[in-house]
Formats: sequence, C-alpha cells, structure tokens
Amino acid sequence: MAAFEFKNAQDLGKVFQGHGVRYLFFGKSGAILLGYSDTTQDVDLYVDKDRENCEKILAALLELGFRLTEKEQEEVRRGKDFIQLRNGPFDMDLVFAPDGIERFEDAWKRRVERHGFPVANLDDIVGSKQAANRQKDRESLPRLLSFRDWMKKQGGE
Amino acid sequence: MAIVQHDPSDWEDFEAAARRPIEQHIRNSFIHTYKPVLDDAPYRSFDSMEAYRQWCKDNLPAWLGYSRV
Repeated sequence: MAAFEFKNAQDLGKVFQGHGVRYLFFGKSGAILLGYSDTTQDVDLYVDKDRENCEKILAALLELGFRLTEKEQEEVRRGKDFIQLRNGPFDMDLVFAPDGIERFEDAWKRRVERHGFPVANLDDIVGSKQAANRQKDRESLPRLLSFRDWMKKQGGE
Repeated sequence: MAIVQHDPSDWEDFEAAARRPIEQHIRNSFIHTYKPVLDDAPYRSFDSMEAYRQWCKDNLPAWLGYSRV
C-alpha cells in the first residue's frame, strides 16, 4: 500500500465533491491538513450518516477504486458507525459517529476549508480525541493542544 | 480557552511546516507503517464505536495504544 499523497487528497476531494458527499477530514489527518506536523498512516473521514449521503459515499468509493463486496457495499449504504478500508488506493477510516460529537450537522457548521478540502474544526478534532481517551490520544494530545494554541496565535481558525 | 504550556520546539516545527508546500507537508506526514492485526484485513466494520473500541481492546497489541485509558 502506497502512502497517501496530495494527489490522492485531490482525487478524493474531486470525486467526493462530484457525488455531493458531505464529509470532513477528521482526526490526525484533518489536523495535518490544517498544518499540524506529525505523522499518520491513514485518512479519517467524518461522514454524514444520512441515507442519501451513504449512497453517495458508496458511489464515490467505487469510483476511487475501493474494492467492496456486495455485503460491504450494503454496509456502507446502511452507514455503520465505523468502517475501516484497506482495500483501495490508500488506507481510510470512515467514521459515522465519532466520540465527543453528537451530530454531523454541528461539526459541518464549524468546519474550515483548507486547500479546497472540508476539514473539521480543530476544536472538534481535539474534543473527539479527548472523548476517545485512548493511550495513543493521551500521548499525542499535548502536542496537538500546543498546535491549537499556535494556530490561535497565528489568528487561524 | 487557556493557553497550555508548550514545548518551544513544537512551535518551531509548526512554523517550519507552515512554510512547506502542501504537497511536501502531506508527503512528510502520511507514512505507511504496518500495524499488526489492524492492517491484516482489507475491510472491517462496526455497528457502534463502542463495539470498535472493544474489538481494539480485545484484538490489538497493547503497544499500538488503541485501548482506552
């Protein structure tokens, strides 16, 4: 599996926009698009669980080259809470119900645009990691909080 | 919101990252590393985040850090 490149982000953005998918770059991958310097392996997308949006997500995934069986396609249509994809051009996690955020609509209203991509507000990314409270989140949060302060000092977000 | 104590070297990193073209920034940030068990299936799905967290706790090596504290 090749690492995620900017070209992949452009392809994803173009295809998702073409299908009218409501999504946000989320987690560490979202923070990276906001300028955060750290490493990650996969792309996290927070997607609207609305039935119509799930149909659009499926069409977009197939166009991007993700290989999904009939059963898996049906699961995407239904909008499970978490889907991990390692069967396409890059690794991606679809998160339909992230910790710490009640409704997609709320996060959508707070989103920011970076490099033409919809990205969750850094406060939502931080809040979700705080709510998840995994060991890896605890280890990464001090630096992520430092980045949030740095961004505020720059006048960003 | 309170400003947290930060490591000055972090802010130097953020400033350096901000000067890089986005293409380079992405290339530096997305590094593919094999994660045992997690990367061994092409597809997984979970009905709830709680089910996903439980699966991580039950199946992933602790050192990956996916278990709740």
